[in-house]
Amino acid sequence: MQRGDMHFPTMLLISLIIVTALLISVFVARPALTATRGGKILAFVVLFLLPLLCMAMGLTSELERSKSTSFCLSCHIMESHGRSLYVDDPSFLAAAHFQNHRVPADQACYTCHTNYAMFGGFRAKMHGLKHVYVQYLGTPPAPEAIKLYDPYNNRECLHCHEGARSFEEGAVHTADPELLPAVKANKMSCLSSGCHQVVHNVGELGKVKFWRGAK
Amino acid sequence: MELAGLEKRIQLAGILLIVGLLVEAVCLLWARPLAFILLVGLGGFLCVSGIVLYLYSLVSARDLSAER
Repeated sequence: MQRGDMHFPTMLLISLIIVTALLISVFVARPALTATRGGKILAFVVLFLLPLLCMAMGLTSELERSKSTSFCLSCHIMESHGRSLYVDDPSFLAAAHFQNHRVPADQACYTCHTNYAMFGGFRAKMHGLKHVYVQYLGTPPAPEAIKLYDPYNNRECLHCHEGARSFEEGAVHTADPELLPAVKANKMSCLSSGCHQVVHNVGELGKVKFWRGAK
Repeated sequence: MELAGLEKRIQLAGILLIVGLLVEAVCLLWARPLAFILLVGLGGFLCVSGIVLYLYSLVSARDLSAER
């Protein structure tokens, strides 16, 4: 059983759920309490407001936790992709971003694999549900056969990199004056061959060295 | 007799809510995609069913009072 983020707010929420369940059990044991005015008011709070609050907070907590790196990597099929984050080679894009905290290490997958357009987060969640369906009821592909649904949009890179000095004034980026406009217009992918095409490359993990992580 | 029916509905609503909330608590301890599905699918369904049943019991109690 993976405990995930057993931090203070989660424990508070579980405590609230337990208290709510105990209060509800009072009305299950003594439903005649609702005969009085005070009992009716208490029943409304205990049987309607508190459960709604618990559901809303639980859903919010789970949605937030579903963004975590450990959540994504908890499925066996993602094991190789998780290992690729520790490759000791700066040309591996995902590893370089993860190890140097260019993306939040605890939300590494979500940061790059969310569409930053409107409803992008919602679409990411819908894709996640589809992944769960395939994992348990479908035929999961081999890790090296996993592909993106759509070509990776430069917007997801430019979300962070656009305007940054190293991006705008880097020697390679400025060697051709038409390069950056093409990248910003999404006419040329950042992941093009010869540029940043090495991302996870899980098929090559048998040939690389790994970083052991921070001590 | 009607009152007994009302109390039975409240008891059933309470049981549904308790089970739904316990499912939710277990899912919060378990950080896996399946836990998310269970929380929303099973826990949410049970809690919503309990709330709807409770609200129905309120409405049916109001109807009973009106008839008297």
